[in-house]
Amino acid sequence: MLFVHQVHQVVGTEAERFEEAFREGWMESLAKGSDARLLWYFDLAHGSGLAYRVVTVTAVEDGAAWERLAEQLAWGDLRSWARHLDGLQHGSTGRVLTTLPWSPPPVALADVPTEPVEREPVMYMEDTMWPFPGKLREYIVAAGAHYRPALEAEGSQMKMHIELALQTVLGGGRSPEVILLQQLSSLPRLLHLLTNDLTAAVVGPGSWMDEALALRDQWRSKLLRTAPWSPLP
Amino acid sequence: MLFVHETHQVIGRHAGEFEDLYRLGWMGALAEGDDARLLWFLNHAMGSGPAYQVVTITAVADGRAWERLAARMVTGDLVDLATRLDAMRHEVEGKLLLPVAWSALQAIDLTVVPTDGAEHGLSLYMQDTGWPDAPLDDYIELWDVDYWRVMRETPPERRLLDVQACFQVGHGSGIRPEAILMQKIMNVTTLGNLLTRVERYDATTWPGTYMAKGLEIRDQWESKLLRTSAWSPLW
Repeated sequence: MLFVHQVHQVVGTEAERFEEAFREGWMESLAKGSDARLLWYFDLAHGSGLAYRVVTVTAVEDGAAWERLAEQLAWGDLRSWARHLDGLQHGSTGRVLTTLPWSPPPVALADVPTEPVEREPVMYMEDTMWPFPGKLREYIVAAGAHYRPALEAEGSQMKMHIELALQTVLGGGRSPEVILLQQLSSLPRLLHLLTNDLTAAVVGPGSWMDEALALRDQWRSKLLRTAPWSPLP
Repeated sequence: MLFVHETHQVIGRHAGEFEDLYRLGWMGALAEGDDARLLWFLNHAMGSGPAYQVVTITAVADGRAWERLAARMVTGDLVDLATRLDAMRHEVEGKLLLPVAWSALQAIDLTVVPTDGAEHGLSLYMQDTGWPDAPLDDYIELWDVDYWRVMRETPPERRLLDVQACFQVGHGSGIRPEAILMQKIMNVTTLGNLLTRVERYDATTWPGTYMAKGLEIRDQWESKLLRTSAWSPLW
């Protein structure tokens, strides 16, 4: 399975129509076939970064399905929808991704809801990492061996879990790059992280934060909030 | 057919090794199968932009072939090659391109693409990447009707370039709206004139008509002057 991750720079005055275009246009169009499903529709939480940014994640069955979808958008039956969307966003930046070997398994396309649901928004911390030249594979192994278990440990600082762990595929964007979609389950823990320095135990010698510096020292976190109708919470 | 376009920020001291590995490793590995072929290996001409930047374009038969190739680099027999290439560059920015309807380059017969690394003369390309404010389709049409169809009528001795391909970015693999022209420079003297002369375009005659109309659709684009390597399969 492949994942199309897009960051949309939405025209502020068109934000509602943009969301509607994804809920009623994109999600419903994909539901007519079996090639792809919209998984998440996120708003970048105001107050934590750039304004009017939307992140969408669409799962695509395989390479042949991606090609069919790309052709539908370029000159097929989704061309008019793509043209409509061009008027509602300044632009978008996309990635085509695949799961890391230790990623939790993705949901089967047949199990993804295609009718709008209504639920409480869910917060995510999306981390994007750029390992040093030649260190991508070492980083992926180390993150699977140290970071993921630490998140899942009883006394974990953050109370969040990884929904998907992804990397860019050939021609699918910037490389080396790793993206972790992490669902937050404790707002107080997030606020504690934002308002306190990291402790020596977290960043000191022997810690993941310290040892991973040999593999990367640049990443970016985004705080994302699901739309109430997002197919996956 | 899909085209994998990659812009490599090469680590300067590894530039020679990177090119060798692309020629012997990447081009060679692709030549062993039918899924894909390296088409162009281009160096961004020093003095005209970023240093140690390489652009490559690889043609892939279809979506299944692309997925197979991508998987080989992540978990298959090309992991070692991918790791070695990664170690020689700061990063690579890739996108999956589809030829637009009027592009001269559409499907290409992969079996006739050279894979022997034979050396030849060098060619210079102007790669234009544009980001319209208007719907992408309108920009692609502008390039066809108001740019290339008119330029094609220019006498060969006065023609700056030949548009060899026009692409749009495939879904979710880069920036939208974005389109790319691969243009081979046919007359270096004309390029010199373009670079050194101050032009005041007349909006009633071409190319002023194109320049004026273009501003209704976009005002941001980037030209890169790219020089083929001596062994680039296409040049």
